[in-house]
Amino acid sequence: MAEEMRIVLRNYGKIDPLKIEDYIAAGGYKALEKAKGMGQQALIDEVKKSNLRGRGGAGFNTGMKWSFSYGIKTDQKYVVCNADEGEPGTYKDRIIMENDPQSVLEGMAICGYAIGANKGYIYCRGEYPCMVEMLNKAIDQAKAKGCLGDFDIEVRMGGGAYACGEESALIESIEGNRGEPRFKPPFPPVIGLWGKPTIVNNVETFANIPAIVDKGADWYKAIGNAKYPGTKVMTLTGDITNKTFVEVPTNTSIRQVLNDFGGGVAGGKKFKAVQIGGTSGGFIPEAFLDTQLNFDDMSAIGATLGSGAFFVMDESRDIVDVVARIAKFFAHESCGKCTPCREGTMRMEEIMERVNDRHGDAADLDRMGRLGRVMTKACLCGLGQAAPSPVLTTMQHFKDEYLSKFN
Amino acid sequence: MLIIELIKLTINGKEVGAPTGSTVLQAAELAGIEIPRLCYDKDLSPLGACRLCVVEVKGNRLLPASCVTPIFAGMEVQTESEAVVEARQTILELLVANHPLDCMTCDKMGDCKLADYAYKYGVKDSSFAGATHQYAIDDSNPFIIRNLNKCILCGACVRACEELIGKDNLSYLNRGFHRKATTAGDVDYIESDCVFCGQCVAVCPTGALTEKTMAGQARRWDIKRVQTTCPFCGTGCNFDLAVNDGKVIGSLSNPNSPVNGRNLCVKGRFGWDFMYSDKRLTSPLIKKDGKFVEAGWDEAYDLIAKRFNEIKAKYGPDSFASLSSARCTNEESFLTQKFTRAHMGTNNCDHCAGACHAPSVAGLTNSFGSGAMTNVISEISSEAELLFLIGINPTESYPVVGYKMRQAHRNGCNLVVCDPRRTELAAEADIWLQQKHGTDIPLLNGLMHIIIKEGLEDKEFIATRTENYEAMKALAAEYTPGRVSEITGVAVEDLYKVARLYATTYKAMAFYSLGITEHICGTRNVMSVANLAMLTGHLGRPGVGVCPIRGQNNVQGACDMGALPNVYSGYQSVTDKAAKEKHQKAWGAPMPDKVGLKIPEMFEAAYEGTVKSMYILGENPVLTNPNANHIKEALEKLEFLVVQELFLTETAQYADVVLPGASFAEKDGTFTNTERRPQRVHKAVEPLPGKADWEVICEMVTRMGYPMSYNHPGEIWAEMASLSPSMAGISYERMEKESVHWPCTSADHPGTPILHIGKFTRGLGGFQPNEHIPPGELPDKDYPILLCTGRVMQHYNVTTQYSAGIAEVWPREMTEVHPQEAAKLGLVTGSKMRVTSRRGSVVTTAWVTDKVQPGVIWMSHHHSETPTNELTSPFVCDIAGTGEYKVCAVKIESA
Amino acid sequence: MADYKDIINQYKDLPGGIIEAYHAVQREYSYIPEEAVEAAAAAFKRSKAEAYGVATFYSYLKVGKRGKNVIRICESAPCHVAGADAVIAALEKELGMKMGESTADGKFALELTECVGQCQATPVITINSKPYENVTADKVAAILTEYK
Repeated sequence: MAEEMRIVLRNYGKIDPLKIEDYIAAGGYKALEKAKGMGQQALIDEVKKSNLRGRGGAGFNTGMKWSFSYGIKTDQKYVVCNADEGEPGTYKDRIIMENDPQSVLEGMAICGYAIGANKGYIYCRGEYPCMVEMLNKAIDQAKAKGCLGDFDIEVRMGGGAYACGEESALIESIEGNRGEPRFKPPFPPVIGLWGKPTIVNNVETFANIPAIVDKGADWYKAIGNAKYPGTKVMTLTGDITNKTFVEVPTNTSIRQVLNDFGGGVAGGKKFKAVQIGGTSGGFIPEAFLDTQLNFDDMSAIGATLGSGAFFVMDESRDIVDVVARIAKFFAHESCGKCTPCREGTMRMEEIMERVNDRHGDAADLDRMGRLGRVMTKACLCGLGQAAPSPVLTTMQHFKDEYLSKFN
Repeated sequence: MLIIELIKLTINGKEVGAPTGSTVLQAAELAGIEIPRLCYDKDLSPLGACRLCVVEVKGNRLLPASCVTPIFAGMEVQTESEAVVEARQTILELLVANHPLDCMTCDKMGDCKLADYAYKYGVKDSSFAGATHQYAIDDSNPFIIRNLNKCILCGACVRACEELIGKDNLSYLNRGFHRKATTAGDVDYIESDCVFCGQCVAVCPTGALTEKTMAGQARRWDIKRVQTTCPFCGTGCNFDLAVNDGKVIGSLSNPNSPVNGRNLCVKGRFGWDFMYSDKRLTSPLIKKDGKFVEAGWDEAYDLIAKRFNEIKAKYGPDSFASLSSARCTNEESFLTQKFTRAHMGTNNCDHCAGACHAPSVAGLTNSFGSGAMTNVISEISSEAELLFLIGINPTESYPVVGYKMRQAHRNGCNLVVCDPRRTELAAEADIWLQQKHGTDIPLLNGLMHIIIKEGLEDKEFIATRTENYEAMKALAAEYTPGRVSEITGVAVEDLYKVARLYATTYKAMAFYSLGITEHICGTRNVMSVANLAMLTGHLGRPGVGVCPIRGQNNVQGACDMGALPNVYSGYQSVTDKAAKEKHQKAWGAPMPDKVGLKIPEMFEAAYEGTVKSMYILGENPVLTNPNANHIKEALEKLEFLVVQELFLTETAQYADVVLPGASFAEKDGTFTNTERRPQRVHKAVEPLPGKADWEVICEMVTRMGYPMSYNHPGEIWAEMASLSPSMAGISYERMEKESVHWPCTSADHPGTPILHIGKFTRGLGGFQPNEHIPPGELPDKDYPILLCTGRVMQHYNVTTQYSAGIAEVWPREMTEVHPQEAAKLGLVTGSKMRVTSRRGSVVTTAWVTDKVQPGVIWMSHHHSETPTNELTSPFVCDIAGTGEYKVCAVKIESA
Repeated sequence: MADYKDIINQYKDLPGGIIEAYHAVQREYSYIPEEAVEAAAAAFKRSKAEAYGVATFYSYLKVGKRGKNVIRICESAPCHVAGADAVIAALEKELGMKMGESTADGKFALELTECVGQCQATPVITINSKPYENVTADKVAAILTEYK
């Protein structure tokens, strides 16, 4: 029986999230103090050494990212917390922020010290207006207590645009623009918000930081899978008995999460597929259920760890119907800046609908295969590059379901 | 020497080198490898969005867009690999799936990048057929057809509108498949803030934006392109006339244009159609019994020769006066002054520079020794750190210069605008000094006062390069900030801010125009600007200077050619013995001794009866000179008047013989722009009347008994150059290859973009202290409103009214009235109103706006139906004789 | 109702605050009046075209009138498999209109949305951003009575 391990949710249920005194009593803001005693370079080295990799989906070494901004001499730098969790089936950032907002603020403040930034933004999705209020209260409390020092944090609200989860699109949105991604390079740690070096990290990433500073890189890197150490918060949805969230070490397998925490497929039905990492994640068939939940192992099977969404489909589900719905999602959420995504997501939706409605033919599979292949490589940002993944992985693992639509 | 380090990489297996910071696309271009692209445009910021330019880079699992991917040493790039070709084909198929395939009748066919690439990659149709856009076609305006169904969202139009023009009229609406490059609220162009400069059309790679004038007129491959110089304003933009079947059908950007690149304004891009107005004159007219009757050329020439010669014989040479044109070619101005001097025997030759920039010539000659713009337009964006504008409204009067200034300002250059009216640039400026009308001298003196008081003057420059400084200093001392603030209405702290900024900015360029010159103290205004620049050492290097922007396409050239009463071509004084002898010898005729009459003096003399005959080439003083009723009376008194014109203008009505003129598109020649740059005008089509103006002048003068014969305007230029040391190095052959600024004294002289380097033309720069002189007429009890006049962006002084398109969007005079005044009279925008001065009364249409101050109205002088200059002031600059167009007193009422 | 100009002006010194201003206008009006877009352009020194561009990019922002109470139904995959279709049908029937429309009395606007992050209890609808979990067709009428 696998076990949960709570690092980012270390205070879950133990403190009143809107009482900073509780957080402090639980050891909060000690890490920030310790970090400041370490010096910037040593702090960044420690984070780098912990091998904490970004929890938003891209899996980049956090300390390394910070070092890019740290190395630049300029009058202003920014720390941005990406709380635009738009991946369908994901609500882990909400759980973290709702239950322990101060841990995120502290993580941001540590980052601010490390890179030399005195201003932070939390970009919270527009779907969470209550969360915005809560965060503002938490910030007010931290400021009142002087916990953040000279580091200022402001909350900005998204407006319902999945594309803004992409860090450069998110930056555009904070600047008050259309949330369309920028081409890269330059990357945000070098040229980001208002042209200044900017670290954008996910809520979960920041929530890990105080624990790492507090207990040390060696402690952290020993947890879970060595290539992607630590834990991952997963949100379990779909045809699963326990629709809940769990935080597990990164050497936990998909099967363990499904059965040990999720209680197996709901209603005693048989498993058909699980889509992990959000709506752009690959569909995983039974054969891969022993894969561990970390970035590299998931990549190796053509899937992603992504945001930690864990969407289970039982034997009764029509995979093509679900993927058609997902294709519609991408057509709706494409920002429209680059050609292959703007036009491609629309055509993918049309073809998937046609196939799902039994009006398609085998040539449609070739079309989608080619379109998917091109989008994966040629789109401007991660949204377009990942969008074809559900189509491509289901055509690979569940081809019969497509073929059955042509009978 | 600048050593650029090349980074080595391989593209398609070939080792190539490119400078650090290059993109893959640029490196490929250097290596002669063309990468397809739709959204990339070298004049616009990179977008990286069409993804057609993707390439394969070893070690990268993605296909990066080459237009935004920097090169690195050892990079291995494939530009046409299997994956790349598949991506390009797929992207093109995606675009084609949502693009009307009516290429057979598309006006852009032949110049459509989408079609070119579809052809290259064999995309015949799309396997992604599905929903398509069904946008309504925007055919709302006379210039541009907007069919967004053909838009591929490369964003070039949006970027051009923002980055080249700064009008920001376009952005994107909605997202995803429904993303649309359009106006605010998706309204038609005509209802938007569009200024119809057409840059969006120029950069559009498909048929989404096309020139309406060209619709159905020609396939792109049948169009002959003839590069020429714009006939409106003094900026000197070049473009290509699009010609098919002997007819001009459009004006297309030519990226090799030295001044403007691809930028144009509404006039240059769409105003050329005046040449096909049905009001064009096509044959000579002779007035018989008070009515014009069509006549043959011979009849007209005979009559002209007889009458001009008779009158000269009867009243003497000085009874004749000629007006050349700031709109005709240099060659035509040269011929006009030549025959005036050599055959008619008088120096009574002028042109309308007298009505606008004569004070610049007089003032800057006094101060520096040369009347021309000291620096060049390109320095606005390449050098200047501060643009100091006084009495100039570039975005309306010289739009392409204005666009450049706005671009510079957005890129970090400071902008100070001194203007009583809230012009576009005043509204955008870092500091806007809203001085009262006619208070420029105290304002400039006040700035100098502060600069001297704070020790910010350039002491070394003053000591080594100037004279008469002590007098200047003494005068400036009297213009204390408090006193200046009282006279000008400008806050004391703003005076300090601007004085300090101008004095302490190393590269500060000063620009002015008619807001400075068209005053009773115009020449003194000019000299005051020059004083300020000398005080701070802002002369004789890049990014500084005193820059009058000329209002007409060839007003600089008409001056350069000697169509002035006091100088031959190249500013050689008619009283200079050597110059006189040189011309006598060259032209085989005695040269008159005495300086001739300026325009206002000519009309005064005509009124008084000493001038009896006149030849007027392409000028319309009745519409454009102040106190027009007086001009009319003078013209009526002439015994004989010849007007050579495109149209039967207000002035031509008074002629005894009217000779039909040729438009800029119908003749060869040169125009010299405001920065002393002569540029070729190339004949695109045959002249409507059968002859170009230079030919007509030659034939007419030959008939008068002075043989003039040239095979081509190039020969006229060559004669002029041989007589004018400052232009001796410029030839037609050279102009075809490069564009140089005079002075250019020999064929191997590089030209002189910047004047007064190291030494002023006159030796030492001369401070010319000036006291405040209030306008000649100010509002009073009977005429309580101040009238200020000027130009609007859509129009040029003359000719544009005959453009069907421009007349459609700006058909009438719109008089700016402040809401306070409007409220008193119950006027709203569109109301008819009457404006009356002591000299005349006109009916106009109100435009209620707070661009003007309370108590002020502002009018343009473009419309015959509202002859604004019947109202303007009789006062003139005491030195240059230029009318005070900028200030007079009127009363207004509802009409 | 507060004037949109006053609302917008509260944000005008906030760098990039135009989206915040739009949200604030919507909290008062439930939509963004066209004039408010132009007012925002002026307040934030943006072109009108850009101000429209921003307002039409985000699916939670709506330029032009819509119903006061904005009902959004999540249609993302977890809600989709949990039976969102039946909830959509029930909402359309109850309100007598289609998705994307507003009721004639101006009380309700009905919109599809993507995931609202309450996937522990699918299907989910939100009314004025307040989530309702595990919604089924037969619960729809009762939920709506709160707002009628």
